[in-house]
Formats: sequence, structure tokens, C-alpha cells
Amino acid sequence: MPLFEWVRRNSEMYLLEAAQADLARRYLGRPGPVSRRGLQPLFWKRLFVPVYRRLPWRLRHAVILGMPGSHRRSWQRRGPPPAAAR
Amino acid sequence: MVRRVAVIGGSAAGMGAAGAAKQADADAHVIVFTDQQDVAYSPCGIPYVHGREIDTFDRLILQGREYYQQLGYDIRYGTRVRSIDLGARRLGVEGGDDEPFDSLVVATGFEYERPAISGIDLEGIYYVRDIREAMRWDQILERTKVAAVVEAQPIGVEMATALAHRGIETHLVDPRPWAMADIADPDIMQPVEDSWREMGVKLHFNTRVEALLGSGSVRAVRTSAGDVPVDMVVMGTRKLPNNRLARQAGIKIGSTGGVIVDQHMATSASGVFAAGDCVEVPQGGTNIPVQGLSGSHAYAQGKVAGAGAVGRSRSYQPVYVPWGMVGGKWMIGGVSFGETIASALGVPFVTGVAEGISRARYYPDFKKIRVKLLAEPRTLRLIGAQLVGGEGIKERCDFLAMAARKGVTLEELAWMENVYSPAIGALNEPIALAAQNGLGNARG
Repeated sequence: MPLFEWVRRNSEMYLLEAAQADLARRYLGRPGPVSRRGLQPLFWKRLFVPVYRRLPWRLRHAVILGMPGSHRRSWQRRGPPPAAAR
Repeated sequence: MVRRVAVIGGSAAGMGAAGAAKQADADAHVIVFTDQQDVAYSPCGIPYVHGREIDTFDRLILQGREYYQQLGYDIRYGTRVRSIDLGARRLGVEGGDDEPFDSLVVATGFEYERPAISGIDLEGIYYVRDIREAMRWDQILERTKVAAVVEAQPIGVEMATALAHRGIETHLVDPRPWAMADIADPDIMQPVEDSWREMGVKLHFNTRVEALLGSGSVRAVRTSAGDVPVDMVVMGTRKLPNNRLARQAGIKIGSTGGVIVDQHMATSASGVFAAGDCVEVPQGGTNIPVQGLSGSHAYAQGKVAGAGAVGRSRSYQPVYVPWGMVGGKWMIGGVSFGETIASALGVPFVTGVAEGISRARYYPDFKKIRVKLLAEPRTLRLIGAQLVGGEGIKERCDFLAMAARKGVTLEELAWMENVYSPAIGALNEPIALAAQNGLGNARG
């Protein structure tokens, strides 16, 4: 799998799992998703997610938008610019 | 000279593209390749036939083969394209001659994620997709007593509901703590869960499927919490973009795995367009590319791609993704993202939540509606929403998607005008109530 796809797939998965664990506890009184085992999950859960969460949104957003994708082609907007980009 | 437009894929995006190309250039030779035996049917309706809410698959057919023949479409049914040669402008076709093209629309759709578990190739595992296969599986469901649905992604939610509706003992198994946890929030799904329990669905959340057991046919699902004997399995896993042909041809692919396109649905290759589940497009609020939207998105994208393929310029826009569906006995829906995705991404937001009703309280059959709005903290512009209710969800999600697109704020929503008529609308609009609560939260 190409690098950026691998980064997106894994970062999305583990960030979602962390958010699901928080919301499951808060709303449902349940634990979070079933844990995955191994070195790779350890890296993403114990290093990537905590570091990501400490970074300001602007920086995270800039890194995400720095990856190749459709958003970097021309897109006409008929409305205000992205709210979350500010 | 007659322009040859090839379309790979006969679903919403592909047929949208074919139709738009023909409409813009009646003389164009439009060739649609589909590996299925049918086009122009609604695959989204399949779970409702399985669940016996729609009585026959015939109702899902929008147009027959004769219709397209009369209009001059060249549709190659049951025909798989095995390669795209951009240099020679030819498609390699399985079992047939190469097909030249002047412009091409790639509408290759999606594939279900296949878990890397043993037994995945056993008989008795159903991937919901193709109407002919659905007809075959509906016969199998007649003699099915117990079924497992592996993962509660949207199709898993619909199939769990359908199977339970049909009286089949249904086990829904998902490694996440609630259904559709990658898309919907836990408070939004709670009523759905409760209604599933009422319907007899056995819920196994925080439970991973480790293997499918059987000899020849699946006979049990091995989970992290024990084995569940079953007669068949429905795969309710994620939809991944089917980008194999595009990738092999050297067309650029984005981080979602979807084909990279611009506002005209043009890819990185000249004269090649793409649309539907195989592409990624930017989400309007964040500009982050997203993939795997709805049939209405695919169809609209297809129309832009088809117009482009015959040299007419149309534009698509970044998306705000209104979505909605039925889960259990409830309607659920949303716009852009809810609390789960916003928290995962780390997008700053404030929320406003309220419960209201769909008609006057004194009018028969009023239904509860829960609305959660997410807004950007500084400007209070709407950036997302999630809803659950007995009725009125689709209209509200459509409205909120447009509101988000136009930069409408919680302030404007809090004091919005609304229809009040006892049979169709309550005095207090739940969206306005949620926005008022959001303003209160924002002001601390």
C-alpha cells in the first residue's frame, strides 16, 4: 500500500478508536473497541495518538492537507471558505 | 467524427455519466461496461426486499435493457474490463476485443473490506451488492434460522434490521463499542440498539470476529467472546474504493484510496474522468478528502464526469454529506461529521443538543427527534450534525447540509422560522432548540 494511504488508513483507524473509547465511556458506560495486539498497534495507540492529540488543530490540519489528494486540485466554492480551516 | 466515450461501471455513477454524455452529445457513442447483468436498479433497496418491506425485487428495477437499447446506449452486460491503456486509448476487455476510446469515465465503485480471517472463502457468506445475487440469497434466507452480520457498518445495520424483521435470529458482531461507530455517535445509536433488542437482535459489541468455521459452508462464527452457530453470514464491513484499474493505469490515487479528481471529476490522466465510490472529494468544512458517500453523490458526480467526457464543463463542489437511513425502528442521519469523527480529528467544536417532537404533542403519532449540532467555537458556524428520530430526519439533514454549506450560525438557527401545523410540525423546531442550547454552551 502506498505510504500516504497507509498513513491515512492507520491514523484514521487509531484516532477513531481512541475517540470511540472516550465517547463509549462517557455516553454508554462501556469500554472502548477491542484492542489490537502487536508492535504496530502499540506505536499508533501509545505514541501517535497521544502526540497527535497534543498538537494544535492548525498544525494537524496543515499536515493532513499536505498529503496528496483531490483537495489539492481546483475546486470551486459557492459559499464561505472552510470553517474548520481557520 | 463520432466521439467514443467508454464508461467502466453500470451503477449510479456510471449510468449518471452515460446519461449526461448522451444528453450533452446525442451523437456520441457511449459504451458502458458492467460485470453485472443489470444496470439502472437500486441496490440500496435490496435490504428492504430481504426484510419483506418491499414485496419484490422487480420494484428495484428503474429501467430495463430495452429502454437503453431504444435510446442508443451500448451496454456490455456481464463484461469485465481488465486493463486501461492510456497511451493507446484502449480498454482491455475480458473475453473480447480491445475497445478504443476518446474519453473515459471510471466508475468502478467499491469492494467490501474482507477481514483477514480463516474461513473467509467458505460458502454461505453474503456480500450485498448485486440484484441477481440478492434474488438467490433471498431464497437462502427462506430456510435460514440463524444469521450473523459481521460488522455494523451502514449495510450491516440495514441487514441486521432486515433479517430481524424477517424473523431470523440475528447476531450483530462488531469490534467497536456501538453500531456505525465510525460515522454515528453513541447517543444517536442508543435508540437503535434498544429497538434491535426489542426485535430480538443479539448484539455483540466490542467483539471481534476471529474466524468463520465450517467445512464447505459456514456453520459458526468464532468471536473473541465465543462461538456463535449460524446458517449464514452477511458481511457488513466497510466499503473500500475499487481503484485497481485506475491504479494499474497510473492514474493518481489519494490518501483515502480514492481516485484524485478535480471539480470537473477529471483525473490526472487527460480525457479520463472518475465518479462515485472509487473517487475522493474534499469535505466542505475541512477540505479533507473523503470517500464512500451515497448513491445520490455518485449519481451527481457521474453527471459531471459524463458531461466532461464529451467536452461540456460542469462543476461539482466540496461536499457536506447529508446522510440518513433506518436502523432498527428509528431513522438516523447527519451532516458532515458528529462528535466521534470531530473528536478523532481534533476539530475544535461546541455542541448543542435537544430533544423535540415531529408534530404537535396532542396530534396522534408524533415522534421524538434528537438533534445534535456541532459548531465552530469562534464563529459558531455549523460544521456538523447528528439526528435520530421517528420521522423527519431526511428533510432536516438536507436543510442542515445546506446551512453548513452557506455558513449559517447557531445564532441564525436558534431563531429560525419554522412551519407549525399540528399534523406535520411542532411549535418548537428541534433544530432551533438544539441551536439555543448550543449558544448557551458556547457562552459558558
